[in-house]
Amino acid sequence: MDDEELDDDEAGIISGEESEPESESEPEDVRLAEPSKTSIYNSEGLLEKLEDISWPDNVDWIQKLSVVVDQQAGIDVNDDLSRELEFYNQALNGTREAFEKLQSMGLPFLRPPDYYAEMVKTDSHMLKVKGRLLSEKKKIEEAEERRKARDNKKMSKEIQAQKLKEKVKNKKESIESVKKWRKQRQQSGFAKGGEEEMGLNFEDGKGFERNKGRRGVAANDRSGGARGRGGMKGKVGNQKGREFKNSRFGFGGRKGMKKQNTTDTTDSLKGFNGAENQRNKKKIDV
Amino acid sequence: MAKKRKHVESEDQEAPVDNKVAPPRPKRTLLGWKDKPVGEPRSDGGEVFRNKEKVLVTCSRRIIFRYRHLMLNVVSLLPHCKKDNKVESKESKGATLNELVELRNCSSCLFFECRKAKDLYLWMSKCPNGPSVKFLVNAVHTMEELKLTGNHLKGSRPLLTFSSNFDGKPHWKLLKEIISQIFGIPKDHRKAKPYYDHVFVFSILDDHIWFRNYQISVPHNESEKFDRGGLEKMTLVEVGPRFCLNPIKIFAGSFGGPTLYDNPFYVSPNQIRALEKKNKAGKYAKKVKAKTRRKMHEMSNPLEPDEFADLWKD
Repeated sequence: MDDEELDDDEAGIISGEESEPESESEPEDVRLAEPSKTSIYNSEGLLEKLEDISWPDNVDWIQKLSVVVDQQAGIDVNDDLSRELEFYNQALNGTREAFEKLQSMGLPFLRPPDYYAEMVKTDSHMLKVKGRLLSEKKKIEEAEERRKARDNKKMSKEIQAQKLKEKVKNKKESIESVKKWRKQRQQSGFAKGGEEEMGLNFEDGKGFERNKGRRGVAANDRSGGARGRGGMKGKVGNQKGREFKNSRFGFGGRKGMKKQNTTDTTDSLKGFNGAENQRNKKKIDV
Repeated sequence: MAKKRKHVESEDQEAPVDNKVAPPRPKRTLLGWKDKPVGEPRSDGGEVFRNKEKVLVTCSRRIIFRYRHLMLNVVSLLPHCKKDNKVESKESKGATLNELVELRNCSSCLFFECRKAKDLYLWMSKCPNGPSVKFLVNAVHTMEELKLTGNHLKGSRPLLTFSSNFDGKPHWKLLKEIISQIFGIPKDHRKAKPYYDHVFVFSILDDHIWFRNYQISVPHNESEKFDRGGLEKMTLVEVGPRFCLNPIKIFAGSFGGPTLYDNPFYVSPNQIRALEKKNKAGKYAKKVKAKTRRKMHEMSNPLEPDEFADLWKD
């Protein structure tokens, strides 16, 4: 037996020509760019051997159980998905063909459900497989849940914003309605019926929400009820002036904004005494 | 091994049922069924064909676990195989293996040869007088992988499906015959089960033979009704193992003899590794070379003097 020939197959075959060095990590894909010239192809010998070993022609199909299935042309080997799909299809078509043949022979095909026998993979291994499948499923479900929660959160923010908008709109509307009512009252010359209308107006239009708790107190009143009850009771005459001063300079509530100048106050010449100014100027001049 | 039970040939089942009387049951004896004379003459006069294939499966020493597992998977798929001890992978392994096959009374051999703890070669050989094939095995996935979720009966006969391009060139024809003999389980083998619940795929793609093993399954509650047109609901689940065979050489004898075919495109993994190494080794030399080349180039083509060089100098 010529064993040398077996073992030195690397040395002999690849003579000079090599495919251009490909920087691939997978050595499986490398092949010669063109067929090597020293290769042997003894087709007569092959066919002779085939005849030697092949079974007699009249062997039943049931002995062989082999099916030939057409292959789709042009499958990319490196595309795992299409390749595996091709194999799957081959298996499926072959199985269908074989099934029909077996059916026509009246032979059983799949095992009956009550036929228990040793399997290729042990039960403990199948348990592992099952565990893995379950854990994968769980993972997917969890991810789904998380995504849903995230979406909900986003949604709830939007809903909140919408609510806020609506609130503001309501408020505006109610203010508007009050203004309208006031105008109407003015036009009708402060008729007595106006009182009723006002009451109605507040009832159906919800009015100021903030005032709900504290009836009869202004919106920005932070005096805690001191106004109108306490200190001013004695001098009734001065009440109006006091109110004005309170509203201008503040009594209770935030003061900062009220004391600042606005365009109106700077433009007005209300507190300007021209004469005094003149006098001052003269003094400086002297 | 002594034959325990002589097989009642399948012809009994296939016999026309037009004789109304049921065929008398064979009498049971202590040693099995007292059967009719085996080897009834067939209608064409020839003896009934009986597949007595036995496959010896071994591997070389120093095989790595992955490939050993692959071998064990193959053993579990083939009930008509005999597993043997590891064989030293040296020059004279062919003679040793031939002897072993003869000793174990086998008619073919699968030899998994692992070299350099990296590359797996698979020999398929018909003993005693050939032919034999040597493959390089790529893309090995064993049955133990958890992604392969199928399962089937141990010893049920597989359906073999071949892609149509096996019928093209002579060497593919020969390979098809060898594969179908080795991987097909003999019909009345004593360990074979009478159902068909898995299918082997042998497909030629890119001049490689790809192997897949699928379980045939139908939805649970349908399995009783399956016989009536459950074809549409049939699905396949992969069981494994997977591998891809790259044929290297076909020899006329068993583990040797004159070469009938060798793959003109084959590059051995050793060659590939050597090439890779060479590429890596040349890195510094290449850099130095490039540098000098650049310098020479610059010297031979000097830049034109820049006419705007002193524009902003005043």
